[in-house]
Amino acid sequence: MPPRQPEPSHRPLIPVALATLTAAAGVGWLLQRAWKPRGNRNHQAAQALGAGAAILCVSVALDSAIEHYRGEFKDRAMFVGPTMALLGLGAATYVAFRPERASDTLPRIALFTVGATGLVGLGFHSYNILKRPGELDALNLFYGAPMGAPAALTLAGLYGVIAGEMLSGRSYVKTRLPRHTAGLIAFSLMGTIAEAGLLHFRGAFQDPAMYLPVTIPPLAAVSIGVAALSPRATTVAEPLLKATALLGIAGPMFHAYGIHRNMGGWKNWSQMILQGPPLPAPPAFLGIAAAGLGILPLLKEPQK
Amino acid sequence: MSEFKTPFPDYDVLDKWGSPSWNDQTREAVRERLDEVPPRRFLTEEQWSLLEAIVARLVPQPERSDPVPIVPWIDDFLARDETPGYRYADMPPMREAWQRGLDAIAAEARKRQGKPFEEFPADDQDALLTDVQNNRVDKQIWGDLPPGGFFLHHLLKQTVGIYYSHPAAWSEIGYGGPASPRGYARLGPDERDPWEAREVDIA
Repeated sequence: MPPRQPEPSHRPLIPVALATLTAAAGVGWLLQRAWKPRGNRNHQAAQALGAGAAILCVSVALDSAIEHYRGEFKDRAMFVGPTMALLGLGAATYVAFRPERASDTLPRIALFTVGATGLVGLGFHSYNILKRPGELDALNLFYGAPMGAPAALTLAGLYGVIAGEMLSGRSYVKTRLPRHTAGLIAFSLMGTIAEAGLLHFRGAFQDPAMYLPVTIPPLAAVSIGVAALSPRATTVAEPLLKATALLGIAGPMFHAYGIHRNMGGWKNWSQMILQGPPLPAPPAFLGIAAAGLGILPLLKEPQK
Repeated sequence: MSEFKTPFPDYDVLDKWGSPSWNDQTREAVRERLDEVPPRRFLTEEQWSLLEAIVARLVPQPERSDPVPIVPWIDDFLARDETPGYRYADMPPMREAWQRGLDAIAAEARKRQGKPFEEFPADDQDALLTDVQNNRVDKQIWGDLPPGGFFLHHLLKQTVGIYYSHPAAWSEIGYGGPASPRGYARLGPDERDPWEAREVDIA
């Protein structure tokens, strides 16, 4: 008789989850300390939008590079996603540090190109799903090309362009732009939640921590959506967006633990980086939350 | 019969030995298969030598200096009476079927040419086996044991099954061996993981 396999227990997860969240909080705190936005609130919001876009682009660049490598770059167009994410990263980083230059021709062209590429990618990925037998069914949504990833590029482009608009001095900067941006951020969060929810459902929520991205970010999305209409909601939105950002930092650590739990664990990294939970995906939450946190002060009270 | 050429000439599955593809359990299972070839315990010497001759026709390995051992493993599961968990309705239990079937082929050979099957020329061996497969045999010798059934379900299936359990055969067909712990990430048609055999054009 072989020794009986121990029952899979969730108990070890509690310390791991606590350690992970503590580590994420530490990293978040350090990031916050290192991040010193200067200038007025519009300037700070523009910087945050740029930083959020840059984080989104890092996430997309790594994720699409890994996934398209898995797909053996069968279609030459598969090089476009990672390349454009890198271009977006460059442009968004520039915007984060020099938001007053975001509306210059070159960064603007780059941001528009990246955004448009995201839309084209969305088309390609939809085609990839629909050409499979069964067309729009759960199986193809689970295993076909993801819809959220190219959409994130479009959002990154939009964030960058909005960052430039924030400092344009146009009249709508004082009126509807912050509120519309808050709506866009709520929408961005909902999209990312849908993607994470779909894939965590595919993973049967086999670990309780997998419920986190479908509980905290939805509340953050609703709160910033409400804050777009009612300034008082910003006090609720702020901690929720911070928690969402924390989740974006904790996510890769949880996913690293997920790889460890897969057959062969980290020793089998060459398969599990591809097949285990995606390491670079969760920071998308951090990127969107960072942009949201930057826009919150503009929602608090009417601009003078 | 055209000569078989492997499309994986440079591939050796045993190169995975120390790689992340295999773990200690896999290595131990493969090592046992390579090093611990069981001795004769069940078949008689005559049955063993006849079976060697039959197997050499079913899965010829003229190109191998060290052929994949097949008969020892057939003898092994017979000695342990390790059945697949069922028996064929028209045949006696596994051990009896093998003993009677092998003895019937030996008798059939002696009746046809007056000498053991092992001493037949290869073409005659093939002809006799083909007759067994197609039930063109002496009913007196075989009794109620169906020759075609014995040939297909016992002789052929077990021989091929054991042949393709050996790493040398895995290499030949580009098979990666046990996917334990490393399996496959690219599962679609015409997709290949970097740790899989690479097919070359041999035409």
